[in-house]
Parts: sequence; structure tokens; C-alpha cells
Amino acid sequence: MSGWHVVVGAALILSLVVLGAALAREHAGRRRAERSLGERVRFEALLADEAATFSTVSAADVDREIERALRRIADFLEVDWGNLMEYSDDRRTARITHSWVAEGVDRQPSAPPVESLPWVARRIEEGQVVRFSRPEELPADSAAVDRRTFHAIGVKSQVAIPLVVEGAVMGALAFSTLRAERAWRDEFVQRLRLLGEVFANTLSRRRAEMERQRLRRDLAHVGRVSTMGELTASLAHELNQPLTSILSNAQAAEELLQADRPNLAEVREIVQDIVRADKRASEVIQRLRGLLRKGSVEPSSLDINELVDEVAGLASADAILRDVVIELELAPALPSIWGDRVQLQQVVLNLLLNGLDAMSEADGGARRLTLRTGAEGPDGVRVTVRDSGTGIDQVDLDRIFDPFYSTKATGMGMGLAIARSIIVAHRGRLEARNNPEGGATFSFVLPVSGSRR
Amino acid sequence: MTSPPAALVFVVDDDPDVRQSLTRLLRASGFAVEAFASVRDFLARPAYDGPCCLLLDVRMPGGTGLDLQQALTSAGRLVSIVFITGHVDVRESVQAMKGGAVDFLTKPVAAQELLAAIRRAVARTLEDRRERARVTEIRERIGTLTPREAEVFALVVTGMLNKQIANSLGVVEKTVKVHRARVMQKMRAGSVAELVRLAGTGGVLAARS
Repeated sequence: MSGWHVVVGAALILSLVVLGAALAREHAGRRRAERSLGERVRFEALLADEAATFSTVSAADVDREIERALRRIADFLEVDWGNLMEYSDDRRTARITHSWVAEGVDRQPSAPPVESLPWVARRIEEGQVVRFSRPEELPADSAAVDRRTFHAIGVKSQVAIPLVVEGAVMGALAFSTLRAERAWRDEFVQRLRLLGEVFANTLSRRRAEMERQRLRRDLAHVGRVSTMGELTASLAHELNQPLTSILSNAQAAEELLQADRPNLAEVREIVQDIVRADKRASEVIQRLRGLLRKGSVEPSSLDINELVDEVAGLASADAILRDVVIELELAPALPSIWGDRVQLQQVVLNLLLNGLDAMSEADGGARRLTLRTGAEGPDGVRVTVRDSGTGIDQVDLDRIFDPFYSTKATGMGMGLAIARSIIVAHRGRLEARNNPEGGATFSFVLPVSGSRR
Repeated sequence: MTSPPAALVFVVDDDPDVRQSLTRLLRASGFAVEAFASVRDFLARPAYDGPCCLLLDVRMPGGTGLDLQQALTSAGRLVSIVFITGHVDVRESVQAMKGGAVDFLTKPVAAQELLAAIRRAVARTLEDRRERARVTEIRERIGTLTPREAEVFALVVTGMLNKQIANSLGVVEKTVKVHRARVMQKMRAGSVAELVRLAGTGGVLAARS
């Protein structure tokens, strides 16, 4: 073989090798590109999915959903620690509200106070993203404290995104690595900003919702207190009955004990009755306290008939005083509903007292107030309060549920407005109409437990 | 104790605990007691002639105490009522007192107050019945008068002289004198003044004026 041939052969082999290497390199690059493209597409899909989830999440589920989303995203990004921090309402303090730590992290990191990250905090408050692959990337002078803090808690890299709603920063979302340094690609950071927006909107929506709930609760409480004021006759009666029984029994016992040979069996019986009457009185007080309590809403499964029956009992003395017969027409075997007992009792009581008031203005005729329960389709129950009073003027009918709209001489005009807000909060509806034979009917429909309407 | 020992108290209250305790207290204090859950139950009981009174809750479902008061009055059953109520209502108490209630007590009521009211009511029942018996008797005497004697009676008690009566009836004075003497005798009146009092009690004045 000639030298030429050797040279050519070697060159050929070399070029083949080079070509092969180039091909291999290109292939690997393409694979990497493909993988990165696939990763990006999957991350996009994940974020779109989360955005959809959070657009409909209810206030009660926000915490759980945020925890879940944090875990899912941190998993995807293969980071060790995910945190969501919220400023307090006065923006003076910040607090970690949701946190997630990857499995396999030996030492549970503890979240540092905001003061120990002054540079990061300032950047976040200015609406800027903070990103570093290792703490040394932070400015040595201005972020010296922050660098020390990150070293101390063992954060190797981090991306922190401000949560902004209508120009105001309400908190931050941070993902950190604890075991290795990590570069944060621009595209991910940008996507995470979108996620931050989703979280921020959800949290601010929940804040507004909680504020609304608090207002509604306060209003309902005011309504209950003023309603109680209208029930004086019933309350006096409810308490005076057991008190009368206690006093008369005690005085009878006193009389019996003065005898030469007192009938102790009877005295014992009397003492038992006194104890029983005392229990009865404290039950009345307890029921009152329940109605007047200013606590949080406590939804539970409720028997609507029991609830209506209790309210009718509470108002019975007032009805008798006003010469009104209360009739109960309770449909048997109704499905239970889901709601707050006290608030729903308040609604029934309000409608009942309204009916009594309407009849005190009407003259002559039977004064009759009917409380009726019944099924409303497969997923609802309806409670109807029907009176034989003066009815509602057409003009008033459209505005009767408006706040501060009253047709009574001594009304705040809040009763029906509160009643409606309570029913709406229970996913129900409240209606009013006049009866063809006179008087008015108020009714509300509530979904039964477990129905999704 | 000033009241007769056998006085019977009718307790009407829809609340079994209250009914029971009031019954005990009254029995321990020496009264006989019959308790009823409703006004209707009490009305179903035959009238009682002995010393008695009624202790009644003003406000009960199915006929109030004030309704019972009216029913008793129209049935001619004379029994004094002590009202007891959990809630003072001025309008109701005025109405009850006008209707002849002896007392209007507020729950819870102290034994002394209750027993005093019960005794007053029992006494009042007896007094009312004596009064009614007297009225009945006077009315019976008036019933024995002839139409002409009744006319003379009515005019005598207005203070007219015999001569004026004779003129007004178109008879001679002597006839008037005879009728007048018979009226005095039948009415068992010793004087004109007494006759006037009997006429007032028997309702003659009201009827003829």
C-alpha cells in the first residue's frame, strides 16, 4: 500500500471519526433540546392547569390547593423548598403561610425573619424577582446580611417572585435548593411570575371574601340582637315558667317542713322538681346565648323541621300575645341541609316576626301564620312562612330586601336584607309574594346536603 | 288563717311544672286544689257552690284567661279570679280588673302575696254570691207585684206624692194609697227610704228611668 493511500485512509478515518463525533454531538444536542422543549411544554401545561384550578377555587379550599400546587411545582422543578409568604394587612410584618420541603432533605430548614433578608425584601417590595445560583451572586456589600442568612439556613440557590395585585406587593413566592447550587433559566422564571400572579389573585380574592364574611357575620349578629329585643314576651315567659315552678315548689317545701312530722317523700319529690325546673331555665339561657353568640359560622348537617319547630316554640308566647295562631305543616322525612343553625334560625325567626307584625296592622279576620316545610325538586327543601296580614304594596315588593328599606314605623330595615344575605351565603334563594286571598308569603329554598347546584 | 279551711282553688295553667308547683304550695297552705291544663277543661267541670276562686294564667294557647273571664260572666258562674302572668301588659291588666279580677300577679309570685290574693278572691266570691242571692230575692219580691202595684212602686221611689201619682195614673188618691201599702208589704219595706234602696238593688230604677 502506498503512503498516499495510508494518508488518504487515515484522513478518511479521521474525518469519519470527526463526522461521527459531530453527528453524535448534534444528536445529543438535539436530544437535550427536545428534552428541554418537552419540559417547557409540560411546565406550560402544568401552569395552565393550575391557573384553571385557581380561577374557581373556593375560599375554604385555597390553603389546601396552594399547598398542593407548591408541592407539584417544586417537584417538577426539582427544588428542595417552596415557600409562600404573605404580608399582614398593615404590611408591617410578613409571615410564611404555606411551605413545602422535599423528601430526603435531612434538616428541616427554618424560615428566616424578614429583617434578616433586608436586600431581598427591598427587591421584592419593589416588585422585582430575586434570583441567584449561589449566595455569592448577591451583591457583597448591600446584600451582606442576606448572604449570611442564606448560608446560615443552608439555601444554595433561590428564585423569589413578588406576588402583586393591582400594583401592590402582597407577598412572595420562593423556590430554593438546599443540597446543590442551581441555575434558574429565564423562561422558568418568567413562567413562575405568571404563577405568582395566579396565587396573588387567589389570595386577594380570599381576603376580600373573608372580609365580606366577617361583615355578614357582624351584621347577622346585630340582626339577632335586635330580633331578640322583639321577643321580650316570649323570653320573659320562657324564663318565668321555670322560675315560678322553682319558687312555688320551694315555698311549698318550706310549708311542709313546718309540720310536726313532715312528709319527707313529698319534699324529696319537690326538690327533684326544683332541680328539673332549674335545668329548664338554664336551657333557655343557653339557647339564647347560642342565638346571641358572635362566633364564626359553624355549618353542620341540619334537620330543617327541627329547626323550624324550635323557632316556632321560641316565638309562641309572642304569637299568643298578639292573638296569632301559629300552624306548623312540616313535611316528614325531608333530606337534611347543610348550614349554620344559628343563622338559619335567625332567618326563620325574622320571617316569622315580620308575619306577626304584618298581622298586628290588619284588623279583623283570623290571624293565622303558617310555617311549612317541603321538598323542592330532588335537591332542595323549601321553607314557607305565610301570614294573613296586610300583604306587601306592589311598590315595596321590589325593594323589600334592600338594606334600610322598611315599611314599619319602628324598623331598621335590616331584617330581610340580612335574611337574604344569609340565604344567599347558603346557596339558596329567598322570595316574597302576596297571597291571592290576602297576606304575604315569604319562602326560601336551600340545597340539600351534598347536592352541587 | 282567715279564709274558710275548705276553700277550693281552681288552678288553670298549661304548663305542667307550674301547675304542679302551684298546686303543691296551695295544698301545703291548707287549700283544696283542682288543677286544669286548659280553660276548656275547667269549663267542662260543673259549677261549684262552695267557697272557691280561680288562679289563672292570663295567656295560654287555646283560649286566654281573659276569654274565660268573659265566658264565666256570661254563664252566670260566680267565681273570683286571680290572674297570674309572666309578662305584665298594662292593657290586659286593666281589662282584667274591669272584668272583675281580684288581683293581677306577676310570675314568679311569692307565696305570701299569692296566698293573700287567693284569700281575698275566695272572700270576694262569697260576697258576690251573697249579693247575687239578695238581688235574686228582691227580684222575686218584685215579681209578686201586680202590674198596677209595679207602676205605683216605680213612681213612689222617684219621690212623687200620692196625689201626683194619682194624677199621673188617672186614678183617685185613695186607690194609690191602697196599692202603696200593698207594695210596702210585698217588698217587706218598713219605710220609703228602704223601698228606694230595694228598688236600686233590684234594678227597678234603672229599668224604669
